[in-house]
Amino acid sequence: MNEVDNSAWAVMLILILIILLPIGWIMVVSTPEPYHIVAGEPLREALENSGITVVSAVNSKLPLPGATGGKIYTISDENGNLITIQTQSFDSAGSRDAAIKLHNAQSVGKGKPIEDLVVIGNHLIFVRPGTGGTIKKILPELQKIKGR
Amino acid sequence: MSEDPTTAQKTGLAPKKVLGIFALAMINVAAVLSIRNFPSMAEFGWSSIGWYIIGTILFLIPLSLAGAELATMLSDKGGGVYAWCKEAFGTKGGFVAVFCEWSNNLVWFPTVLAFIASTLAFAISPALGTNAIYLFVVMMIAFWGTTAIAYFGENVSSKFQNVGVILGSIIPSILIIGLGLYWVASGSAIVLPPFTWAQVVPTFNLSTLPFFATVILLFAGMEMAGFHALEVRNPNKDFPKAMAISAVIIFFCTVMATLAIAFVIPANELSLSAGVMQAIQVFFEALGIPGAVAPMAILITIGGVVSLAAWLIGPALGLGVVAQEGNMPPIFNRTNKYGSPVAVLFIQALIGTFVSLLYIFLPSINQAYWILSAMTVELLCIVYLLVFASLIKLRYSRPEAPRPFKIPGGIPGIWLIGGMGAFGVIFAFIVGLMPTGGSFTTGQTISYVAGILIGTFLLAVPPLIFLKLKKPSWIETGNKEG
Repeated sequence: MNEVDNSAWAVMLILILIILLPIGWIMVVSTPEPYHIVAGEPLREALENSGITVVSAVNSKLPLPGATGGKIYTISDENGNLITIQTQSFDSAGSRDAAIKLHNAQSVGKGKPIEDLVVIGNHLIFVRPGTGGTIKKILPELQKIKGR
Repeated sequence: MSEDPTTAQKTGLAPKKVLGIFALAMINVAAVLSIRNFPSMAEFGWSSIGWYIIGTILFLIPLSLAGAELATMLSDKGGGVYAWCKEAFGTKGGFVAVFCEWSNNLVWFPTVLAFIASTLAFAISPALGTNAIYLFVVMMIAFWGTTAIAYFGENVSSKFQNVGVILGSIIPSILIIGLGLYWVASGSAIVLPPFTWAQVVPTFNLSTLPFFATVILLFAGMEMAGFHALEVRNPNKDFPKAMAISAVIIFFCTVMATLAIAFVIPANELSLSAGVMQAIQVFFEALGIPGAVAPMAILITIGGVVSLAAWLIGPALGLGVVAQEGNMPPIFNRTNKYGSPVAVLFIQALIGTFVSLLYIFLPSINQAYWILSAMTVELLCIVYLLVFASLIKLRYSRPEAPRPFKIPGGIPGIWLIGGMGAFGVIFAFIVGLMPTGGSFTTGQTISYVAGILIGTFLLAVPPLIFLKLKKPSWIETGNKEG
């Protein structure tokens, strides 16, 4: 190889490293959500500890492998609007992680999915758009439950 | 800048003029119109109209007009946004713009590929949608298959996109709209509350603000036809018409199909937790035609593939022009007999495969996914900011240049259109840094924002390194494959 070829390969290596470093680094370094069984209904517990009243809760089971059931909670926010939050628990880390990936694939345009996702052990909490204020309020309680 | 020889003159390769109005319009429709947006947006009910209007005023209209003016003004130059931004800000500006348009795809590919695979699974067996091996195999078939189509040049890829976008985007949209109208005409109850103008106005608060970036970039891709400038038969007439046709199709289908779904499915039943197809299934079951779900899944899969193709081919063509002009090492400058930038396509496919591998086989990386998605948005904002800035600057630096399509209103008109677009993307860039849903702790928020900014910087900076290392020999050593 002559000097020109060497520099070309060096530049290509730089390009690949620059592109793969941020993507790979973010993916590899990010801590996987630990999977452990969280007993009971973590969302209901967090809502009640935050002083938010659950108006209703109905059972729901997503048609996903490993889904063991969850609830669709209807709660009332500070303005009296009724909002719904769905939860689902999974029987293994694999099935939970697969559900997370499936959720993340439902992006709008080139952006993110409109629903946010909170992971609490074996539970996934699907947060609908516009309910972020409520989630912010109960997040400290959810973090406590997560850390148990 | 304007005295630069065209790419065709430099390379001695004159692309075949195979694209007309229809093909150009379909390239844009393929890039922008996506069925997977409809159920998500339908969750907003009547206010989805308000969100769409915001996206249309602050992005769809400005970008369509900017694309029409710049594409006709620089119709003899290849590279799309590269040529536009280079004309205004020199090689550095053009290179950064097209590189950001290309590099954001590397982050986005796994998402759209996973969507394609999980949607196809719905037609076969929904349980497959969470099987990592199945997902990866289908993702790779779609990715490398689309790359192979791109290899055979504009003629083949445009035919593929023309057929694909009609089958996978336009027909499903019209079907959903038609069924929504049938629902109303048959006297079934519309599940939305009675219409009032107040309900059209979106709710703005801290929790919905990050969604603004998503809405603005809902129409990202309207510039895609510009990458194919050298293959257009009559660019001066065809570009403006194609822009107008594609914008009308995209706006009409998006708004009407979203409302059709919102009319039929109550918002609290519009769960996307098991994927967009779950919502489509509820829609068809409500209409009494559950048998239509599997065929619809196949059509939506096709729509996903043509969307992938539009984003995979366009920016690669732009980067190919950059390489042909000697701004990248010769290894990137390999064009086959069909005029396709094979080296760029191959490197893109390799990187995309690697990122998809990480995406599928690493354990739950929810926060990493959010950061990578946000990086896609931020990189696109950089592209569009440069496009709108170029539009305005060229009216000052090249006022005499013929503009077969000219945004009306003179200098105030250009500031209004370019300014609205620039405002939209700057605002989207800022709110794109905010975590959605409020589910992040303070510490997570800091690492989230830092991750986005550093990642965006690293994915935008390679052009500056290339230009720093540029050698005269790079322009002479490009290869043409037989």
